[in-house]
Amino acid sequence: MINFGIEFVPRDLYWKTTFYAIQAEKTGFNTLWVTDHFNNRNVYVALAIVSAYTDKIRFGPGVTNPYMAHPIVTAQAVSTLNEIAPGRVICGIGVGDRTTLEMVNMKPFKPLATIREAVRIVRETTSGKNLEMQGEIFTVSGAKLNFRTANRIPIFVGAQGPKMLALAAEIGDGVLINASHPKVVENAIGFVREGAAKAGKRLDDLEIAAYTSFSIAKEPNKAAKSVVPVVAYIVAGCPETVLQKHRISIETATKIRQAIIRGKWKEAFSQITDEMVEAFSICGTPETVVEKIYSLVKVGTTQLVAGSPIGPNIRKSINMIAAEVFPHFENKEEKLHD
Amino acid sequence: MALEKIVRKIPSSSWEATSERLIDIVLNSPNASKMPSGLAKTILYYWQRDQLATEVGLQRLLEASMIVDSEKTIDVLKELGLQELVTVLESR
Repeated sequence: MINFGIEFVPRDLYWKTTFYAIQAEKTGFNTLWVTDHFNNRNVYVALAIVSAYTDKIRFGPGVTNPYMAHPIVTAQAVSTLNEIAPGRVICGIGVGDRTTLEMVNMKPFKPLATIREAVRIVRETTSGKNLEMQGEIFTVSGAKLNFRTANRIPIFVGAQGPKMLALAAEIGDGVLINASHPKVVENAIGFVREGAAKAGKRLDDLEIAAYTSFSIAKEPNKAAKSVVPVVAYIVAGCPETVLQKHRISIETATKIRQAIIRGKWKEAFSQITDEMVEAFSICGTPETVVEKIYSLVKVGTTQLVAGSPIGPNIRKSINMIAAEVFPHFENKEEKLHD
Repeated sequence: MALEKIVRKIPSSSWEATSERLIDIVLNSPNASKMPSGLAKTILYYWQRDQLATEVGLQRLLEASMIVDSEKTIDVLKELGLQELVTVLESR
């Protein structure tokens, strides 16, 4: 069975994000992720108001990173949210967006050790433990929240490279694979399997999400046009291994990143090719999108995250997903064997 | 005339269509930031309860759409054949 998640970027006014969140819940999305970038509205403030206007949908930061926010603060934030919406809170954590980190001169140093320790801090603190930890990155001496977290908060680790994917499976409850192309996701699940085996887990124990850049519209060109800015950010922040896989030169990615940092949007977006859109997004008409999601399900995806931009008109695109995509996956097992 | 009375001029058969069009104006207007936060929260309250296509919901949506884009609101109401409503709004 595949679940559908949706991602919102709180670049929009708070009430628009909340409006779409209510709509996502009504139309049958199971999970809602809100991105965490310092230059947008604060993720936890956005999630707090979303929690007040929704009743069922799971939600959490997607993803926060331990460079901008100490994991103890993340633990505090998700635990507080869990008080407002018990049992609905999840926590997505990853190395963060390279381009935004660079804007404040942050380098995602020692990402594997940082994420491993950050997850431990969030996990143990939200479990009510008095944490003593002398790590390679973080040292915590007797940190304990002064309030109880009523239930376990599932942690999803965002990952793209082989080692991070394996680590995500080893320490996470779920893996957020930062990819849209079925071949890339299939390859990634291979590393997830290795990480799960190392931790004595079965692949079935994990929720495996393809965290896609998604754009749906009746006219393919409109869908593509709206996804270009997001693909630009993805290419700009891609690890070299991923760029090589898609035959994108490091120079091109660097140019795009620098243009974004300088606020030269036109310059950045003009370098995005159709091949990049194909590689880094699920984009097109409902029929095209359904085919692409089938391909992701077949390689083992259990959650499809419809990430930003969702479509040229978010409200219409959410309704389109509900009306023209969801029905194809209601009896997934049967259809996959057709 | 108060909005409460104005929305009573919308026939119930047009509530759904009017609501849809006004929501579009409110969400997509470049002046969306002019929406007062209190009004936004009221609209979210009615949206959560599926009441945006009711008299109370339409009242708040109309108030919001007139704030963020009165010209477009009038055009949409004309398109929907709600001329009486347009006349009242224009005379306010």
